[in-house]
Amino acid sequence: MVSNSDFVGRDIISVGDFGREELLFLLDAADRFESETRPLLAGKVAAALFFEPSTRTRLSFESAMGRLGGCCIGFAEGGVSSQAKGETLADTVRVVEGYGDLILIRHPREGSARLAAEFAGVPVVNCGDGAHQHPTQTFVDLYTMRRECKRLDGLHVVFVGDLRYGRTVHSLVTTLGHFDARLTLVSPSFLRLPKELRRELQEREVDFTEAQKVEPVIADADVIYVTRIQRERFTDPLEFEKAKDAFRIDNTMLHKAQPGVAILHPLPRVNEIPPEVDSHPHAAYFRQAHYGVAVRKAILGLLLGQAGEDTA
Amino acid sequence: MSRQPTYKVSALTQGTVLDHLRARSALRALRVLRLPPDTTIMVGVNLPSKRHERKDLIKIEGYELTQEEAAKVALISPDATLSIIREYDVVQKTELTLPVTFRGLIRCVNPSCIVHEERVPGLFRVEGNDPVSVRCEYCETSFAEEFFEFL
Repeated sequence: MVSNSDFVGRDIISVGDFGREELLFLLDAADRFESETRPLLAGKVAAALFFEPSTRTRLSFESAMGRLGGCCIGFAEGGVSSQAKGETLADTVRVVEGYGDLILIRHPREGSARLAAEFAGVPVVNCGDGAHQHPTQTFVDLYTMRRECKRLDGLHVVFVGDLRYGRTVHSLVTTLGHFDARLTLVSPSFLRLPKELRRELQEREVDFTEAQKVEPVIADADVIYVTRIQRERFTDPLEFEKAKDAFRIDNTMLHKAQPGVAILHPLPRVNEIPPEVDSHPHAAYFRQAHYGVAVRKAILGLLLGQAGEDTA
Repeated sequence: MSRQPTYKVSALTQGTVLDHLRARSALRALRVLRLPPDTTIMVGVNLPSKRHERKDLIKIEGYELTQEEAAKVALISPDATLSIIREYDVVQKTELTLPVTFRGLIRCVNPSCIVHEERVPGLFRVEGNDPVSVRCEYCETSFAEEFFEFL
């Protein structure tokens, strides 16, 4: 049985550290924290070490901390930190742990959050370590699916776009294995989900199929999770032009989907979802970004010993 | 009269015997150990074995492997035995085993892993025995023994 004490002082580094019950506990906490306005974290300080740029993750954490009465300190790009002067990450973390009650870290190197957690005496939250993990984004994605679809078990989730390099997709496909999901992976052949991850899905007996066209597979989709295909991944510009149109979701296509299908995107989007889709009642990508505040309020609250329950 | 094949290898006065090494692993083990260049070494490859079909054997004259060196051999050939010889007697015999986790010994195969930038040894969790495979505890990259780069 999961309880609040399982989260107090805990590091959040990789989705692999969380089982099904813990994930559900966290999502329930996000439901409670969404409307939480009490200054539960008054006097608490989150130290945000963003060695790489971030908009949604950093701002939603700052918003979450502010809405709970705490504050955020830190920097938003690596060039201004002491690392630019040659300081190791381990030393930076040992200094900063004295300034905050919790450390939020985004760093270009894979495994950096785990290393930071090893040296920090306060909880560390991984806000993206290179191409490796971005666990709080995965929690937000799960929360969005549950909010939009009113359930999390047995969903048919269609992933579209760059499935090779997108860390949000990597974390999410393995985590959906806890919820008996059926996955359809739609991508250009050279942007398929990496082999190791496909093997992991097979080992965990996750039901998944691969496809190269979106339209034939969306009829019974509960969720369409779209990701950006980046021009720099292509050596041939013509191939990019073809791919960006082939892996795009528009209203004509959505007529063939179930009326309740939820359309998600970790954002930023470019061409893959045209603005006409924004008015679709289940275009959930902006709500998804907004749910990030509720989920991150829950994370901050739980790690710092506030459950957000009505104690009256 | 039938003649049984025999393998004549001098007994060690003192040193280390690595026996029951996985077949065809001895040369890799020696490359990894980087023993002093004037060390006398006897190597048997693909010898008949009762325990397995074939095995390798290494005898190192006048040199006792350190714990760290033994740990490296274990990553190449778990289940090997290591005997320390002094004055022709076996004074210590150990069955090598794979640890659950270990620090250092090898480099993480992922060039983007943080350990290449920080001054900390890698931390690995053993995932498989045959072939040996590990997972970096920092970046969570899994890789097999053929990709091990020893320190």
